[in-house]
Amino acid sequence: MNVSLKRIQAIFIKDYKEFSRNYAVSIMILFPIAFALLYRTEAGDQAAIYAFIMNFSLAMLTSFVQACLIAEEKERNTLRSLMMTPASMLDVLIGKSALVFLISAAVLAFSTYLFGYESSNVMLLAAALGISILLYTAIGTICGLYSKTLLEASLSVFPVLIIFTAGPFALVFEDQYPFLEVLRYLPSSQLSELLVEMEAGAAAGELTKPLVVISLWAVVLTVVSFVLYKRRLMDQ
Amino acid sequence: MNAISVQNIQKTFGGNMALKNVSFEIPKGEIFGFLGPSGSGKTTLLKILTAQLEATDGHAAVMEMPSKMMQKTAQKRRFGILTDNSGLYERLSIEENLDVFRRLYDLPKSSIDHVLDFVNLHADRKKRVRVLSKGMRQRVTLACAIIHEPELLFLDEPTSALDPVNTAHIHKGLRYLNERGTTIFLTTHDMTEAETLCERVAILHKGEIRAIGAPDELKKTHRDGTLTVELTSGEKERLAMSEESAAAIAGWMTRGQIDRMYTNELSLGDIFIKLTGSELV
Repeated sequence: MNVSLKRIQAIFIKDYKEFSRNYAVSIMILFPIAFALLYRTEAGDQAAIYAFIMNFSLAMLTSFVQACLIAEEKERNTLRSLMMTPASMLDVLIGKSALVFLISAAVLAFSTYLFGYESSNVMLLAAALGISILLYTAIGTICGLYSKTLLEASLSVFPVLIIFTAGPFALVFEDQYPFLEVLRYLPSSQLSELLVEMEAGAAAGELTKPLVVISLWAVVLTVVSFVLYKRRLMDQ
Repeated sequence: MNAISVQNIQKTFGGNMALKNVSFEIPKGEIFGFLGPSGSGKTTLLKILTAQLEATDGHAAVMEMPSKMMQKTAQKRRFGILTDNSGLYERLSIEENLDVFRRLYDLPKSSIDHVLDFVNLHADRKKRVRVLSKGMRQRVTLACAIIHEPELLFLDEPTSALDPVNTAHIHKGLRYLNERGTTIFLTTHDMTEAETLCERVAILHKGEIRAIGAPDELKKTHRDGTLTVELTSGEKERLAMSEESAAAIAGWMTRGQIDRMYTNELSLGDIFIKLTGSELV
């Protein structure tokens, strides 16, 4: 597959300009910041609250923005125009995802600072959040590809928001409804588990499992988003 | 040398045959018109030629490569495409839109000035696309399609919904491009546009080519062999080419009764209706 840094940069710059002028989408960067300020605490359950803010932000910012960027290109037929230029499928996807990744990483880092969360293992936290951003970007790509309009894309993210953000909370009913155990394997539940256990002083080895599960989600969803992207753009 | 060569192309969607054994060749440097009403298969063929669709059967070559190769980066640099729904980035200015394409084709910054001059939009370069008229948008879209000076240009209804002034401007630009060596493949349902621009045209109806040739050749082939004489009295006489007609004309001429006289040639639109039994929509 043909990949060019210059073409990725061209798409990145174009998307940055479009994003910065599209206030309906760019306003999403305020949600994680607002939540970080609102739920700022030094109580014992700080890690759990922080995990909730991160999970909410990943769906509301990362997936939402990526879905909107993709859906808007489809709605205005610019994605097809792009595909008629030397830009390859990977150039377009990497260029778009890189913008969403950097915006998400910057906003999540700033929100972490505002929330006052100090991790005992910064490298592990950065890895978990980085991989999560990748997987939520892939979810956003899939939502965008299945949406015909910007409006549809913004609505399509809500099931993601509900399932992934509320999933870890539903685990309190696990004793009554054993089937809810499946929610343990959501990437959001795994991120919560990783953060809580990390703060409880778990050894690095014990934190491998949640990181591996999140990574598996990221790999599978990224592959699915690439395959769907190729299929959805080709007329049958 | 052919820019496009199509042999027995067929395309089916479900049970419907959109293209039936379509064959033609377009030499390099020609402006070729593909005429037909909406739904006749014009856009389907254009998508096959640009590898956006796969043909069910047959062979298509573009610039001596199988059309399937048109999505390869090296091939994409050789052609440009403008369709009636080609998108532009609404929040970006004309110049910023062109800059996206300039970067994607890895061209120098001067290419933007050059193409802006070409579409006569230099003075408006800082305007956001969302405030532009339909005609100006179409000129920006054309600029995006030709910024890399392609060898082959695909145009799908390039002047649909444009006013005559903007249409004339686009036509002038296309002729200039063609003079510089660009082969142009134009699909349209506008017969005047085809007659004005194209060296040869093909008439497509329900996925089949019904006629192909230069507009003048088609008119000659399909003329009805009559002529009309308008007399000074206001009468109109439609005459067959015969000795009796010649004698009648000689008589009117002698008496100075002829106001106008002309052969009855069909327009491309008339030929289309004659060949297909359909009105152009």
